[in-house]
This record gives sequence, structure tokens and C-alpha cells, in this order.
Amino acid sequence: MRSTFIKHTLLSLAAVSIFWICNAHDQVPGTKQAKPILLTNGTIHTVTGATISNGQLLFENGRITAVSRRVDVPDNCEVIDVEGKHVYPGLISSVSSIGLVEINSVRATIDFGELGSFNPNIRAEVAVNPDSELIPVTRANGVLVAHVMPSTYRGGLIGGSTAVMKLDGWTTEDMTLSAPVAMSITWPRDPRTSQFHPEDTNPDNAQKAEENYATAINKLEDAFKDARAFWKAKNKGDKTLDVDLRWEALAPVLNKTAPAHVYADSARQIRDAVHWAKREAINLVIFGGTDAWRLTELLSENDVAVVVGGVNKLPRQRWESYDTQFRNTVKLHQAGVKFAIGYASRGANERNLPYEAGKAVAHGLPKEEALKAITIYPAEILGVANRLGSLEAGKDATLIVTTGDPLDIRSNVEMAFIEGRTVDLSSRHTQLYEKYQQRYQQN
Amino acid sequence: MNRFLIKSLLLVFFFPTLLFAQGDTTPVKGIHANTPRVHALTHATIVTAPSEMLEDATMVIRDGIIESVGANVEAPGDARIWDMTGKTVYAGFIDAYSQYGMPEGLKIFSPSRGATEGPPKKMPPTPSQSGASSWNPLVTPERDAADHFKSNKKATESLNDTGFTTVATFPARGIFRGQGLLVNTDGQSLNDSTVKTGLAQHIAFDHWSQSRTERPNDGDSYPSSTMGSIALVRQTLYDAKWYTDAAEAYDKNPDQLEKPEENAALEALKLLTNQNQWALFKADDELAYQRVEKVADEFGLEYAILGNGYEYRRADILKSLGKTVILPLSFPKTPHVERPDKSLNLSLEQLQHWELAPSNAAFLAKAGVSFCFTAHFNPDPGKSVWNAIRESVKRGLSEEDALAAITTNPALLYDVDAQLGTIVAGKIANLTVATGNLFTDEKARVSELWIQGNYVEKKPAKEIDLEGTWEFSWAGVGGFETGTIKGSGQKISLKTGKVTIPVSLQNSEILFSASPTLLGENEESGLARLQAYVSDDTLSGSGQLPNGDNFSWSAVKNAKENNEEEEEEKEKDNDKDKKEQEIPELVFDRYPAGVYGVGQREKSETVLIQNATIWTSGPDGVLEENDLLIQDGKIVSVGKNLKAPRNSIIVDAYGKHVTPGLIDCHSHIAGSGGINEGASAVSVEVRIGDIINPADINIYRQLAGGLTTSNILHGSANPMGGQSQVIKLRWGKDAEDLKFEGARPSVKFALGENVKRSRSPDSTRYPQSRMGVEQVFITNFRAAEDYERRWADFNAGRSLAPPRIDLRKAAALEILRRERVIHIHSYRQDEILMFARLAKKLNLEVAAFQHILEGYKVADALAEIGAGGSSFSDWWAYKFEVIDAIPYNGAIMHNAGVITSFNSDDAELATRLNTEAAKAVKYGGLSEEEALKFVTLNPAIQLRIDDRVGSLEKGKEADFVIWSDHPLSTYAHPEQTWIDGIKYFDKEESQAQFESDASERERLVQKALKQRIKEFKLETKKAPEKDPPGEPRPEESPDWIYHDGSNHYSCSAEEEGAHL
Repeated sequence: MRSTFIKHTLLSLAAVSIFWICNAHDQVPGTKQAKPILLTNGTIHTVTGATISNGQLLFENGRITAVSRRVDVPDNCEVIDVEGKHVYPGLISSVSSIGLVEINSVRATIDFGELGSFNPNIRAEVAVNPDSELIPVTRANGVLVAHVMPSTYRGGLIGGSTAVMKLDGWTTEDMTLSAPVAMSITWPRDPRTSQFHPEDTNPDNAQKAEENYATAINKLEDAFKDARAFWKAKNKGDKTLDVDLRWEALAPVLNKTAPAHVYADSARQIRDAVHWAKREAINLVIFGGTDAWRLTELLSENDVAVVVGGVNKLPRQRWESYDTQFRNTVKLHQAGVKFAIGYASRGANERNLPYEAGKAVAHGLPKEEALKAITIYPAEILGVANRLGSLEAGKDATLIVTTGDPLDIRSNVEMAFIEGRTVDLSSRHTQLYEKYQQRYQQN
Repeated sequence: MNRFLIKSLLLVFFFPTLLFAQGDTTPVKGIHANTPRVHALTHATIVTAPSEMLEDATMVIRDGIIESVGANVEAPGDARIWDMTGKTVYAGFIDAYSQYGMPEGLKIFSPSRGATEGPPKKMPPTPSQSGASSWNPLVTPERDAADHFKSNKKATESLNDTGFTTVATFPARGIFRGQGLLVNTDGQSLNDSTVKTGLAQHIAFDHWSQSRTERPNDGDSYPSSTMGSIALVRQTLYDAKWYTDAAEAYDKNPDQLEKPEENAALEALKLLTNQNQWALFKADDELAYQRVEKVADEFGLEYAILGNGYEYRRADILKSLGKTVILPLSFPKTPHVERPDKSLNLSLEQLQHWELAPSNAAFLAKAGVSFCFTAHFNPDPGKSVWNAIRESVKRGLSEEDALAAITTNPALLYDVDAQLGTIVAGKIANLTVATGNLFTDEKARVSELWIQGNYVEKKPAKEIDLEGTWEFSWAGVGGFETGTIKGSGQKISLKTGKVTIPVSLQNSEILFSASPTLLGENEESGLARLQAYVSDDTLSGSGQLPNGDNFSWSAVKNAKENNEEEEEEKEKDNDKDKKEQEIPELVFDRYPAGVYGVGQREKSETVLIQNATIWTSGPDGVLEENDLLIQDGKIVSVGKNLKAPRNSIIVDAYGKHVTPGLIDCHSHIAGSGGINEGASAVSVEVRIGDIINPADINIYRQLAGGLTTSNILHGSANPMGGQSQVIKLRWGKDAEDLKFEGARPSVKFALGENVKRSRSPDSTRYPQSRMGVEQVFITNFRAAEDYERRWADFNAGRSLAPPRIDLRKAAALEILRRERVIHIHSYRQDEILMFARLAKKLNLEVAAFQHILEGYKVADALAEIGAGGSSFSDWWAYKFEVIDAIPYNGAIMHNAGVITSFNSDDAELATRLNTEAAKAVKYGGLSEEEALKFVTLNPAIQLRIDDRVGSLEKGKEADFVIWSDHPLSTYAHPEQTWIDGIKYFDKEESQAQFESDASERERLVQKALKQRIKEFKLETKKAPEKDPPGEPRPEESPDWIYHDGSNHYSCSAEEEGAHL
């Protein structure tokens, strides 16, 4: 209580309070799993295998060791009865800026991207604020892992390398699960004349937008040529070669150990990005993907996965049907395109990720697919399926215990574990809730 | 001298020279020129009036006036005779609207005009009014076109080319733009060419946000929205009336009263308010007509409408107004559909408009609307104006109506029908002469004009067509006898025998050189030079041999020996074109245009919904396997095993859930021209109700999400914002029919970061702190009390000076009197408490604190004054003042006795308020029934409409939703949404309609593609046309009503284009 009081005193001075925002939230990171834990009598939603009602799940040293109706229980085991509850893998937010942005309208709290067109050397994981207030709020709803992506500023193209972060830990190092994961690229802006003035017929504006688009694609191609030239010289053993951090950092993309994660929404952007990746012979994942449903053949032919930026979205065009975006993943699923559901909401609303998946179910996506789209599919797309995304022996004990279907708003998360550590599910929100309930009780 | 030279001389000496003295008062400087001005036009086809034509007739013009006209009229002896055989004479055409002769600073440029005029990078600044002008620089009714007019040769020629002898011209900047002038287009001084001054007051609902270069700073840019502009028009007209009254009062009691202010703008407006002048209102879009009517009606103004090309969409409304509309003669270019991905940006209504725009006039004529034409908005007048008129005629407009639109109708409109519009003895001799019927014959062109009885020759505009076989005759040499010329422009060649010679065409002259052997000479060295003037189908030329000998030659085109194959091909093409043009009759019968447009809406039926789980949101709670009976738009009963009256529709809803239609207490959809009048800290005079946009696609999208009622609020840029408008989502109806009739009037206030301009560090607008915000309320409510007292004193005879009607103070007074309730945007507990205490002190009625994300900290203060709380379910951290927002807010407020709702403030969120309600179950543990009330009954209470909607109870309006699943589940979607007992959304029907709309779009794309392929062929020959097409708009419009619906305003972030 006392610390909260001090906080509120500071609130009156904006400059000081911004400083305060950047300070710690009150939740203490979980301690390393000391002894085996058994969850028993719950419904275990393994995601990749059958759902086990009245089953057991055992994890030791942060890893799942057994999932079954009945498992062998070690001696020193802590047994948690979860009768009537459901166990799911931790949900994965596959489009995230958590930790990079605290308050979108307060510039001092924004770190989502760097200046300039090409920033492949930028690393997301070094600037994720472990004490962001957004982290406890997000994980309290079962989102335990986030794929944090640097983005670009003012027409920039390459944002930097992305990282898969656990949403608990004392430091960025504690939180980093995998990095670099991929190279975040913002595809050049679609030269649609103007979103709010579709009637803008000024030929100069339109022509300029077209030129800018073509120029930006050329720039991106040039960057990859330059990077290849750099590595050609370097691999030849050219000792006189000066360092270029940018092209060094592009290596994983060039040698296909990491994909390009290209943010592209319109059909034109997606098509151009797919053709570009093909020409460059690199691995590609489309992010955003508003128009992806229009290009399912192209995407499946080229084995390109799509991480949609949300389901609760308005149609891109006035003339499209009202449910166009609700059915985007339905059509991707039907066409066999690999996909995941993300929620590009700039941090504060990432906790609502499961409801995006739920909305797709309301419009035709099978329930199992919707669950996979926020667990195993993103794990696969992000290259961490060996550790996350399902409840299987050998994977991380990153999981949640809920009162019901996590895709339904009325369910609550009652327990969460990240690598076997117990996660504190309190947050700024629960603390303020408790604090102000007392005001009315005192009166 | 040949004809060409005569023409040149005429052009040089005749055209720009003053034909007669500048008015009678100007002294003569040289010789008194007194050529008789008597002319007889003989053997002419004379169209004396629409549908009246004389063949082989004679007309006599004397001293500028038509003396006589008829088949048997004899040319008087003193007349100069003009043989008009083969020519058609019309009454001089009148362009009903232009900015002709206005200085650049009084014109408005539109981007689509850039093609020919070149868009100015910066709009030239409007000259400021001097003298005792209005406080607002956009109010310049005293501006008179006649004071600014300066004839411009290029513009005059352009009008003459098109055939206009007379135009109405207006200053085109601002809101009250000033008075127009009717002027003849002879390029003379106004002393002679003026037909009429003080035509009408030109009014537009313009505002500073439209101006790309002129916008003043924050506090000085009132109005910055369409609704602000409408409010300023109202206020100014009230002021004009007051100005008259105040002057009268002063004249009676000059010793007791202070002299009222001097104001040239209000003085000029007396003409309008005394009904001695009428108003020409500019209609920016299809929504403007009703707005104009409302304002005009309030002040008893007579008016006409300057249209925009979309009139056909609202022909029924225009018919009911019974006013004249001026229609632009320009149609959209063919949409560039050839790039598949890019053409996704072309919306259905844009393609429809491309197809229907040329039928605009025909549709209006059919509906019985009176109209004139204007060429002003055509980027390339001259030829394309006539193409547009002929296209209108092809689309079913009668020739008579078309002619009337440029002769008798504008003459009537401007009350000069005694002088102009028809060819009758006694009228001004303004004539337009053409080589044929301009309305049907594509080859006909305007050949000359007569203006005030003076002959005005047009500059030769005819394209020279050399193609064909020519017969040559030579003098001095023995050249070839025949030759064939092919090509045009830069590529022309002459072929004779086996020799092909390149030919250069310069103006009306051709140049080429040939070997002397071709001319029958023996010497082979050197080249002979040849030159000739082209005049119709003859060449008159000369030449010089290499040895210096001159010779003459001429040639005559042999019409018969044209290349037969080519002709045949052309004919085939024409046939093909004709077949393609034979399209079924075009109609516009669904509204809004574009996707999901609605035809005739069904009437409310008697409907029985059976076996549903009914969430009444009323005292009956949730009823399983129950029935709902509705009749005449009202709920008759809710219960088990209800009997279906005869002829009722029965809906089996077993396994489904029925809830009241959802209600959004905070929305910014369905507005146009901006929803923030942010230039002033106080703008309670502006009305959202003035700018409702029934074509906003979000209405349909939200209907599909189960929403039936929405509170459309002013933005949050100022402490005392604007008047709100509750609407029902009656998609397909017009703006007035969307309004929730009888809803309690309300106003939007705001506190915190937005109103103190936190995001604009350079802002100079008061207030800049939360402390100042409080004072804004206090000072304005005190001022409203003073205003009330002043009127009371005047009405009781205690004061002689009539007070002004001040719409701002009057609205503040309504709030003080609790006639208008308050919705106040608020976040932090301190500001909430401040306003709650102020409201208590002033006895204000606060319907709801909006957003109120820290409401949980001071819920008791809300409960104490009976204010509701309308909140986001779980938004937070998007700005600094919401760092303490928590999703438990709703539950805490509810538990403290505050009527609580969850709202959207967002076009997307409003499509799923049912799952927002579910968050009150999740955070704070409310019952599902109570949670659903957060988006049904509770917002109805906050909007003071709970006696009519918000729950399913006997006697309430039949607004309800049939859900596929539990309404709080993310898996649920609406299957049907009903309003007033009428089904406005049905998932299956919606799907079918969408498919039909989508195939309609494909048809239009295919049609446009065929046209584009033809144009593409032409373009490859010409310079490539610049991208893209889209719809040419008459003038810049700030807010396109058929936008894509993306969230372009959310006052939670107070940012255009904010995406959270």
C-alpha cells in the first residue's frame, strides 16, 4: 500500500511520472522450479494430441515430463488438484511490441523502431522493458509468450531482428527464449492514393505514390544485393573489408536460417513480397495479411505462412462484405495455407488475443484450428515448436490453468507457469481494483 | 486574298478591338465610329425556343436587339445580309455558374482541374475584406463579383468555343461568398457586357480544414468542420436580422442607446433576410440538399442549388424541394481497371457512378426537377462539354430539356427571361450559331456567336483532316495529277505513284519538298520546296524549283476515292460500338449507392419469434424457450406458447438467443465533414444532427454486429463541444429518418488531455490546464445567465436594445435549464470530481460521464448526482491519463449504484459490443444478465430513451437481435437484427445480396475494361495519361461520404487515423 501511495504523489508531476512508468511493476518473477509439479484431475488440452479429460500433467525442471490420464508421480512431487479446470499451453502473441511501447502517445515511452531505411542490426530483445506494466496485465489472461518485432519509422524498410520473449523474468536475458528469430521488414506502403479520400484524383499525387512504391522496392532489392556483395567479399577472406553491421546482420536471412517477416496487408503488397522473396531465394512469412485470403494459391504454392494482424477488423474496402476479415483465416485454413492469429494492438490490448481467435470460430474456423492458431502454429512459424505450443513431454512447462475455454471471455486464467516457474497473475489492474474496493468499504 | 488571310485579319483586328465605345458615358477620343448595327441573318435554321424551330428563316437585329424573326421576314434595306444557309441559330447559351473573370484569390481550384489548368501548388490566398467586415474572414457577403471582375481573354475564348454568350459568375471563397454577376462573354468592359448585378448570394458550407494553405492557427480557425460552418451560417443570418432590428431601435431612441456596431457583411445580408435576394447554395455532396433546405427554411430564404454530379442519387429529395439545380457538365473518366490488384481500390459505388453520371440530367428530367447546366467544372471545356451534353441526350434527356438547361432555365433562374433565353423580337441579340444540331450531331460545332447584336467570330478550332486522295493542278510546272495523303499530327505523308513524301503541317499550312522530276522537270539535283494553305478540302499553294523558278499549284480533295477498306473497317467498328452501347435501361433505385444498398424497405410485420432464449434486460430476466410477439413495430408480449395472429411471420428460433438491439452510448460514425469543431473552446452551437451521413458503411457493419441504436457524439477537442444526435441504424433511409425522433437533446463536453491540447505543443487556445478547463465552464454558464437576463429585460420592456440571438449562449442556457443533458468525456478522478461538484452546484443534468476510466475511484460522486458512467470495457495505456484505467471499472461503478454502460468510440469495436459486455463478467464478476444490460438497458437509460428501447418488454419498440449462440460468447454472431419491427439485417440475405453486388461490380469492371482497352490504344499514340482515374470531384471535399469506413476518428485518442 505504501509504495502505491508514493506513486500517486509522484503522479502529479508528468516528467517524474514518466520516469516512474519506466520503473518496476510490483510483480516478482517466479523462482526456478525446485521440485516436480503434478496437475491432476483436469482436462488437458494438448493441442497436438487428443484432449484428455480427468488427466494428469507432470513437469520437472521447467520441462513437461509426462502427459496422460495417469502418470508416474515422483516422490517429492507437489500435487495440484485442478478438478473441473482446463490446462492449455501458454498462448503466444505472434505480433507484439510489448516492452517496447508503454504508452503510445507518450514519446518518451516508445522504443518500437529506429530511424533510417535499413536496420537489420537492431535487436528487439535488448529493449524489452521487463518491468513494463503491460507484461503482468497481458500474461494474466494466458498470453505467456510474445514475439516482439521492431518496426520501422517514416517509410523505413528493415526494422531489425525479432525475438520470442517469455513474459516473466528479472532481466531481458531471463525473458529471451529465442533470438534472433526473423528479420522484420515493412513492405513499402501501398500507393493507394488516400485512405480517406478515395476520390483524390490529383494525378500528381497518385503518380508520386506509384513512384515511391517502385523506388522503395528497388531500395530493398539493392540492400540485398549489397549484403550479398559484402558476404561474397567476406567469404573470400578479404582482410581489407570494413565492417558493415547492417549486412552482417542480414546473414541469417540470406542463408535461410531465419525468415523475413514482412508486414504486408494489401493484395498488391503481399503478391510483390512473395515474388520478391522468391527472387531473393529467402524464407518468407507474411504479417498483417489483410488481403491474404485473396491470394491463397500463391501463398500455398510458395509455402508462405501468414500471421494475420487480427480478426476483429473492418473490411479494407468499402465494397467488401462486412465479414471479410472475420473469414480471412477461414479461407486460409480451407486452402491449406499455414497461418497464425496475432493481434497487432500495440501492447495494451494483447491480452485479448484469444478473443480474436474466438471471433474466427464464430465465422467458420474450426475451434481446434483457432486454438492452434495462437499456440502451436505460431510456435512452428517462429521456430520454437520444440519448446512451445503444445502440451507434450519434452516441451517447456509454459502453460495455463483456466476455468474454461480461453477463447471465451467469461473464462478466467487461474494459474500460469513459464518454464515451470509460477507466474504471478496479479497486475496493476488487480492491485488498483483491490485498493479502490477498500475506499468504498472504508466509507 | 484567300479566306485564311481574311480570317487572320479578323482575328488580329476584329476580335480584341473594342467594337464600340465603353458605354455611353465614355468620351470618344478619335473619329466617331457609327457603323450601322443592323444585320439580317437569312436562310437560317432558327431554334427560337426549346422545341420551336424555323427553317429557312430570317432574323433582323438592330442596335443589339432582335427586331424580327420569322420565315416571311424581309431583310430591311439598311441591313448587312448574312447568308446562314446550312447553319443552325440558337438563343445564346448561358452558363449558369462560373468563376469567370474572378481574380485567382477568389477562385477555388480542384485537383481534377489540374489536367489543363495545372493545379497551383499553393492556393492563392483569399484577399481579406477591409472596412467594417465580419469578425470571421469566411463571411464576406458584401463581396460583389462586379467589383472584382476582370475579363480574361483565354477564359473568354474558352467560353465562346463552347458557345456561351452569357455566364453567371461568382466569387468562390468562403462561406458567405458574395454576390454574383451575369455577364456577356464578349470580353468588353463591364459597362457594356453586364447583364445583371447582384444575382444571388453564394453560400457554401466551407471551413478552414478544407483549405490546404490558408488554415490559421488553432484558435482562429472557426469553423473547422461542416457542422461548424452550418452553425456559422445560422448565426450570421440571425445576426443580419438583429442588425436591422438594432438599427431601427437606435433610430427611434438615439439619445438612450449606444449606436450598434457598423457591419458591412450584415448590411449586405439584409437583401437576403428581407427576401429581396435569393441564395445559391453549393452542395458538396448528395447529403447537402436537405441541409440546405433546413437552413433556408429556418430563415425563409429562396434558393437554388449548385450541384455536384451526384444529384441522380437523390432525385426524389430534389423533386420534393422543388428548387432549381445547376448540374456540372463533366463526367468521371473510365476507371483504370486494367491492373487487378490495384483495381481492388475501386469501390462499387465509384464504378456505378462512372456508369450513371452521364444519366444525371436525364434522371432529374424524368423526376421533374428543374435544372441548368454549368461547364465550369469540366476540366477541358469546349469539345468535351458538348460531348457531355450529347451523351446526356443519348441517355434519354430530350433535346428540348438540354437546350432549356443552357437557355431558358438559367434566364428564368436569374430573372432575365425578358431579355435572354429565346429568340423573340425585343430580346437581346445573343445568338449561338452552329454548323448543325449541336445536341445530336457529333460533327456539329459552334461556328460563331452574336453578342448584343455584334458578330463574334470564334478562332478556328477545327482540326485539319488531310487524309484522302487529292487532285492536283499546276501552273509553271507539270506535276503529278493525283496523290494520297495519310496520317495526322506529326506523321503525315503524301504518296504519289511509288513515291512517298513526308509532309509537315504547321497551323493551316503544309510544307514538303519533292524531287524536281516529280514536277516534270529534267534536272535531278536538288529539291523543290512546296507550301500550301489548307482551307477545308482545298490546298492553295506555291513552290520554288532548285533553280529559283517559282510556280503555283492547288489541289482539291476527292471525297469519293477514299480508301474503301478503311471505311468498311470503321463502319464495322461503329456497328460494334453501337451494339456495345445498347445496354439495358439504367436505373438508380437502391440507397446508399454501392454495396448493400437498399431498395424499397419492407413495412413492419406481425412477427412471432418462437422457442428462443430471451434476454429481456427487463424485470423478467432471461427466459428460456420463450416467444416474442411484435406488431406495428412494437413488442406485444414476451411469454411461453404465444399464439400467432393471422398473417404473422413465424420465426423458429429454437436453440437461438434473442436480446434487445444493442446500444452504443459513444460513437463517431455516420458523420461527415468532421465531428470536431475544435477551433474554439466552446462550440455548443454546432449540431451533429446537421451532418448525419446515412451512406457510412459502418452503419451496416454495426447492424451486422447486432447494434440498433447509436449516440453520435461531437469529438473531444474542446471543453464544451457540440450537440449530439442519437440515431437508429436504419440502413437505407436518409439522414433525417436515421434520427431517433424524440430522444432527449444532449451535448458533448470534455475534460483532460484533449481539451488542453496536450498533443499540440504550439497551441495558443485557452485552456491549457485542468484548472482552466473548470473556468471555461463557469464563465460560459455565467454568460448564459446574463444572456437570459438580457432577453428578459428586453421582453419586459426594461431595455430598448434588442439582444442578439446567440446560438452558443442559447445552447448553454438549454443545458443550464436541464433541457439538454450532458455527456462528458473524462478520465482522471480529480477532473471527474470537479465536474460532478460543478454539476451539483449548477443543477446540471449529467446523463453520463464518458470514458470515465477512473470512475472506479470516485463512483460515489457519480451516484450522488445520478450520473451514469459509459466506459470502455478494458482499454488502457493508450495515453498518459489512462494509465490507471482498469477493466474492473465497470463492475465497481455498477456496484456503487452508477448506471453503467460499455461503449465503442470506435467503428470496429461497435460491431461487437456483446463481447465487450462479457468483460463485465470476467472482470468484477457481474452476472451475465447484468453484464448484457451494459450494452442494452443501461445505455438506453443514459440516453433517456429507456421508455422505448433497451429491453424486451411489452409496449417497447421492436429492436432486437437473434443470435446464433449465447450472446456473451465470442462464438456468437447475429443472424438477424430488427429495428421498429423491420428486419434490417439477415445473415443469409446479406450474403446473397453481397454476392449479387460483387457480380455487379465485376460486370462494371468488365465494361470499364472494354472502354479502357480502346483508350489504351489511343494513349499509346498520344502522351500516356497519368494515373489514376477515380471520380473527378467538382471541388475539394474534406470528407468523402463513401469512405472505406476505417476508424478515422476516435476521441479516446483524439487523433485522425488513430489505430489502437
